[in-house]
Amino acid sequence: MKNIEVPALARVEGEGGLYIGVKDGKAVEIRLDIYEPPRFFEGFLVDRFIQEVPDITARICGICPVAYQMSSVTALEAALGIEVGPEVNALRRLMYCGEFIESHALHIYMLQAPDLLGVPSALDLAAVAPEVVKNALRMKKIGNEILKAIGGRSVHPVNACVGGWYRWPDTAPLKALLPELEWALEAAKETVKWSLSLPYPNLEIDYEFVAIHHPEEYGVMHGEVWSSKGSKLSVNEYETRYIEAHVKHSNALHSHTSDGGHYLVGPLARLNLNHEQLLPEAQKALRESKVKLPLTNPYKSLIARAVELVHFYEEAIALVKSYNPAGPAHLDLKLRTGEGCGMSEAPRGLLYHRYKIDKNGRIKFARIVPPTAQNLPRIEEDLFAIAPQLVKMEHETATLTAEHLVRSYDPCISCATHFLNLKIEDKK
Amino acid sequence: MTTLVLGIGQSLRGDDAAGLEAVRLWQGKYPQTAKLIRVETSELPGLGLLDLLNGVDAAILVDAVQSAAPAGSLLRVGAADLASFAPDALSAHGWGVAETLQLGRSIYPWLEAVHVTLIGIVGEQFEIGAGLSPRVRAALDGAAAMIESEVHSLI
Repeated sequence: MKNIEVPALARVEGEGGLYIGVKDGKAVEIRLDIYEPPRFFEGFLVDRFIQEVPDITARICGICPVAYQMSSVTALEAALGIEVGPEVNALRRLMYCGEFIESHALHIYMLQAPDLLGVPSALDLAAVAPEVVKNALRMKKIGNEILKAIGGRSVHPVNACVGGWYRWPDTAPLKALLPELEWALEAAKETVKWSLSLPYPNLEIDYEFVAIHHPEEYGVMHGEVWSSKGSKLSVNEYETRYIEAHVKHSNALHSHTSDGGHYLVGPLARLNLNHEQLLPEAQKALRESKVKLPLTNPYKSLIARAVELVHFYEEAIALVKSYNPAGPAHLDLKLRTGEGCGMSEAPRGLLYHRYKIDKNGRIKFARIVPPTAQNLPRIEEDLFAIAPQLVKMEHETATLTAEHLVRSYDPCISCATHFLNLKIEDKK
Repeated sequence: MTTLVLGIGQSLRGDDAAGLEAVRLWQGKYPQTAKLIRVETSELPGLGLLDLLNGVDAAILVDAVQSAAPAGSLLRVGAADLASFAPDALSAHGWGVAETLQLGRSIYPWLEAVHVTLIGIVGEQFEIGAGLSPRVRAALDGAAAMIESEVHSLI
């Protein structure tokens, strides 16, 4: 009976392989070979009606469906030349809080912490520190509960539409979440303290950080695309500087800047560029942590996630308390030919969408730039940085070390990279 | 006594949908039994499986499995066997049934009291967009009968 595998490999999304070419004891070539699904989605979308787009693109990822919904609705609203009101936006932020919470709690405790603590998996962590894992699941669950209260179900929620929401969610189930949210806010503050106690490998990288920046709120859906190198662009200008390109070894596109540089999106970029917009409790947690910004160690993105957790619980509490919907849940759409760009910060980084639509509201062109495609060249470059150590290690240790680095970016291909096949080839 | 029948699997990944299909077929064929207990289906319960099990006395999980046995074979796996699975398919985002139960047992003492049985339907192809393979489809009647008999042994 023991040779039955549960679950089937069907639950693995994508494949990741790492190739390191070695010459004279030095790494000369590194390739992260990836199969990345969103490419097909751009094709599926052509000739679909705009209102189908949020729910189709949400299916690109089970961890960040809200990011896909929000980037698509904001892009399509731009194409139609409409702007939703503050109540619609506030509920979008709340739903996004739910996504950050469930994704970050999962990544911090179940994915990256076992690597840092030197145990094979969260199962082993649960065996030695059951309370930690129990709290992690409780923290994560509240995020899924938010998604369920707004979107009807905890994974792949529905309800978001171009122009707003199909209906306002009932008030009572949202307000009922407050006690758990209050508990989770305290747990998140403890998570920041705990994150500081973890042993991080030494690795400092001179990154170009890129994230959405908004002067009055922690950038998630609105604002400009800021770079730590000084570039400040509107969403409509995104593609003038951030360019996707095919690379031979990967089915995923790789992004680079217009001058050929690689850049990093995600929690480190957000925290470094937007820490002044964190809410007070998160600011306090960051200040008390005495963490010096900018954080430039990729492994320490865990600390950035922990600080963001405090922020998103805090923001969720405020948004739930003020939730009191009135008026129509969505705008009436007047269809027209148009083109629009939208972006939002998925938990793992900036997610950009652009659509062209015809006068009947049918999609004629779609471009989706997921965060992981933007980070892949950066991850390869960082692997180069640790390659001198990797090539000296036993194969198994080298695999674990490379996996740990890859996982610290929380790529959407985490499932695949957990099965990373490491090939070190001597080119002599 | 609260009993849960849970069909697990992704509807658009070939034989992975076997658990969902078997539970739906059982509901249609044995409505008198099905209406007595809680029935759920879930595409990818992941760690949410633990929430689904909270508060039930017994759960029958119906899921596609990979095994050396021929496609369409039906396997009944008790709690003890499930617990001993080596979770070599452990991944960050796709928590499978065995490792989720193992994790749950480490942190939730109440889980020990839940009587968990897995009815496994051996699949052979898990391609995106493919339907059930003929051998798995032919096994659904047997799987439905097995669910019915398992439920009767509990209620």
